[in-house]
Amino acid sequence: MWKRLLLIRGAELLMFAVLAAVPLAVQNPYALGLLTLLAIYGILLIGLDVTVGYLGQVNLAQAAFLGLGAYTAGLCVTKLGWGMPLATVAAIAVCTVLGGLLALPALRLEGPQFALATLSFTALTVTALNELESLTGGAQGLSLTRPPLLGHVLGANEFYWLCMALLAVVWVAMRNLLASQWGRAFEALRDSPIATDAMGMGTYRHKVAAFALGSALGGLAGALYAFNFQYLQPQSFVYELTVILLLGVVLGGRKSLWGAFVGASLVALLPNLLSNRTLFQVISGLGFLLSLLAGIRGLVRKTIPPFQAIAPILATGVLVGGGLLVANTEDWRKAIFALMLFSVVVGLPEGLMGFASRFLSRLFRIPDPPLPAPSPLDEVLPATPVKSGTPLLELRDLRRYFGGVKALDGVSMTVLAGQIHGLIGPNGSGKSTLVNVVSGLYAPTAGEMLLRGQPLPRGSLFRTAQAGVARTFQNLQLFTGLSAIENVMAALRGAYRRSRSMPLVLLGLGRIEEKRAQAHALALLEFVGLGHEARTPAKDLTYGAQRFLEIARAVARRPQILILDEPAAGLSHPDMHRQMEIIERVHQRGVTIVLIEHHMDVVSGLCNVVTVLDGGKLIAEGTPVDVKRHPKVIEAYLGEVEPGPVEEVAPAAPATS
Amino acid sequence: MTISIIAQMAVSGALMGLVYALIAYGFQLTYATSKSINFGQGELVMVSAFFSLTLITLGLPYWLVVPGGLLFGAGLGLFVERAGVRLALEQKSEGWILLTIILGLFLFSVAENVWGRDDRPFPTPISQQPIQVLGVDVTPVELSVAIGVFAIMGVIEVFKRQTLLGKAFEAVSADRDAGELMGISATHTVMLSYALSGVVAAVAGILVSPITTVGPTMASALVLKAFSVAVVAGLESGFGVVVVGMFLGALESIASFSLGSGWREVPGLVLLILALAVRPTGVFGKATIRKV
Repeated sequence: MWKRLLLIRGAELLMFAVLAAVPLAVQNPYALGLLTLLAIYGILLIGLDVTVGYLGQVNLAQAAFLGLGAYTAGLCVTKLGWGMPLATVAAIAVCTVLGGLLALPALRLEGPQFALATLSFTALTVTALNELESLTGGAQGLSLTRPPLLGHVLGANEFYWLCMALLAVVWVAMRNLLASQWGRAFEALRDSPIATDAMGMGTYRHKVAAFALGSALGGLAGALYAFNFQYLQPQSFVYELTVILLLGVVLGGRKSLWGAFVGASLVALLPNLLSNRTLFQVISGLGFLLSLLAGIRGLVRKTIPPFQAIAPILATGVLVGGGLLVANTEDWRKAIFALMLFSVVVGLPEGLMGFASRFLSRLFRIPDPPLPAPSPLDEVLPATPVKSGTPLLELRDLRRYFGGVKALDGVSMTVLAGQIHGLIGPNGSGKSTLVNVVSGLYAPTAGEMLLRGQPLPRGSLFRTAQAGVARTFQNLQLFTGLSAIENVMAALRGAYRRSRSMPLVLLGLGRIEEKRAQAHALALLEFVGLGHEARTPAKDLTYGAQRFLEIARAVARRPQILILDEPAAGLSHPDMHRQMEIIERVHQRGVTIVLIEHHMDVVSGLCNVVTVLDGGKLIAEGTPVDVKRHPKVIEAYLGEVEPGPVEEVAPAAPATS
Repeated sequence: MTISIIAQMAVSGALMGLVYALIAYGFQLTYATSKSINFGQGELVMVSAFFSLTLITLGLPYWLVVPGGLLFGAGLGLFVERAGVRLALEQKSEGWILLTIILGLFLFSVAENVWGRDDRPFPTPISQQPIQVLGVDVTPVELSVAIGVFAIMGVIEVFKRQTLLGKAFEAVSADRDAGELMGISATHTVMLSYALSGVVAAVAGILVSPITTVGPTMASALVLKAFSVAVVAGLESGFGVVVVGMFLGALESIASFSLGSGWREVPGLVLLILALAVRPTGVFGKATIRKV
């Protein structure tokens, strides 16, 4: 515990102390200018990392926000005569609003489309800055003088300290935020937007918040950029810069404040690096040796694909060879940058700091922070007394058509409180559609859905989850990049009050709730028998454990009704029994369950009532024993039993979907 | 502003728009097989144009320059696939976005240093003298763009429908795994799509160079608008990119005439953001149903 604090916080403190002391020791205006730029880029890249690292989207708009922030601050100073604090606040505000607005259309986009939308925003911004000549001065540029701060004129040293102080503030605030429910929600969004909604977090607000936050930091960096250079040109904020920034984040290492800082140093120092030939040769030579060693080791041990081993060697080899051949390295700036990036992106996908932090934490044997003792189960999932026999979920004449296909053709059923209600039917009978309509993934074409007599939201996973419906997924929808405990923490209902307010979290006031949420989540993990796997990333769990984890996560919603979509699908026999036992225990805590299942022994062993669907219609309902004997059910599963001699016996293949 | 000037603007803009459509078609080819696009496609257009210019200055006849340029484009496409896309696709990551951007940056820098930073004229045997067609002035060079665009797109569409290799292409586009199970190599098909996409980029470069001149930045504006066209039209429909490309070309030509040349880029970008907000799968794209 102390070792961890000492090493990690110590390294941060040491870095900031050294950086703050530089101007006292060295009287070099050029070096100071570079370090100021490093602080500004640091803020900018921490902002970019929110979308690139946590949301996992390729964001090409950060240069535009730097420009918008810079111009806003510049115009506030020149046209309105505002002081430094007010102009900075204005720059942040403008970028927050524009970032949020840009996120709205970009919200529905993934991957390449998102990248294209942000790229277009950058192009549009540069065009506007160029063309609104009366305001921005167009291509001529905008000159300003750095206004005094609270009546005090800042020298180069003081301005540098101001930038560093702001970087430190941003660093601490972002660490608070990204370690909170917000950070988890951002990552959840990256791994499974559907589950993010179904677990009541909401994709919408978190995507907009993440984008607005990253843009706000762009605005802050922009304001500092304006005060630093005191001259702005639209040409500084074009596509090229946005690419370099993006690559800075990737090079430094995603999802890491240190990574953003390292990336910023590279971006700021790169032009300098190239002008010094010896330095360039030393660095490219080192890169070549490293990739050669790592590549040969990877090839011999067969831990990485051959391309991943050979390509960085070739790229750094070209870098070394080219460095000897070409007359002026600065002319080849972009090619050099491209080769360096190529080697890192291919050879070290987690970036420099991702690699370094793994290496260092092994070297110093830094343990994971300890987990608190699990909360008592009664606190996390209070056993609620059930009024048996009262209707909980009522569906009336529910229909859902896909074009001409009537996937649900008028289903009416009632789930009574305190029961495990089975839902079975052959392939294509409409079970999955029913679950998807009730849980809000699809809006019903017609019909009513009532939960405790109140109409359920239609066509919104998020609002349905808020109303008290939780579900699991037939094809697992875990947050694969998060650990087991984080998966459960992300879904916990009622554990976060303060943490819902972003400013409070930024100030670090969400920690107490974090501890309690950890304790709660641990209790739920132990409830499904995964207490010892709390720190394991969800993607590394066994298949069975992933299924158990999905139930723990859904239970964390403290649902009124829990819908389990084929919870035993693909499980081995022992795991299936464990799963049945888990479902039984969840039921004993007073949770009403709707269970879709194909294994008849699971259904018979658990359910009080079973509803059978076929062709989008309800064909039978009753106890498992009754239903199994029902002629229509037998017909649906085995085909029509014709009178007379039967020559071929249809195989009673269990249906799967 | 009279009707005839607007018509003139619309026609020459629409002809230019066909170049956007062609570059966007190159995105569609690779998107179909691998759900990836080359973010450095503009550099492929530019480098192929420079290469063809070099062939011309070496004194090669035009009928050798064109196939030479196309072959070179195909080679570049294969290079991008091998160096930037294949590994990311194997790992099912979106690393290809970054890697194709990086490769574009690299090619840009190489072109800058090998061929220089200045714009150079691209000689062409086709006349630049305008002729009157239905009361509108067009130059034969502009017409050659239209003919070239339709010719190459037509050839590729016929290839996809009529040849066995083309059907393999379509099969992998429809369902990669099912295609592999039927004995079609998805890797080879993706390579083919990147080679074709490179050819298309080279055609675009050779067609547009006589009009725009050749320089390192010649394609950066073109490709930005091709992105808009691809997204607005959707990444599936070849017919869609032609319609949207011509519409966008006409629109921006009229905008730059009436608002000032600096606003030329704006209609495309606004159209793009609108399309993304209203119909993210594109006007000609198919909406998909979310499944779990």
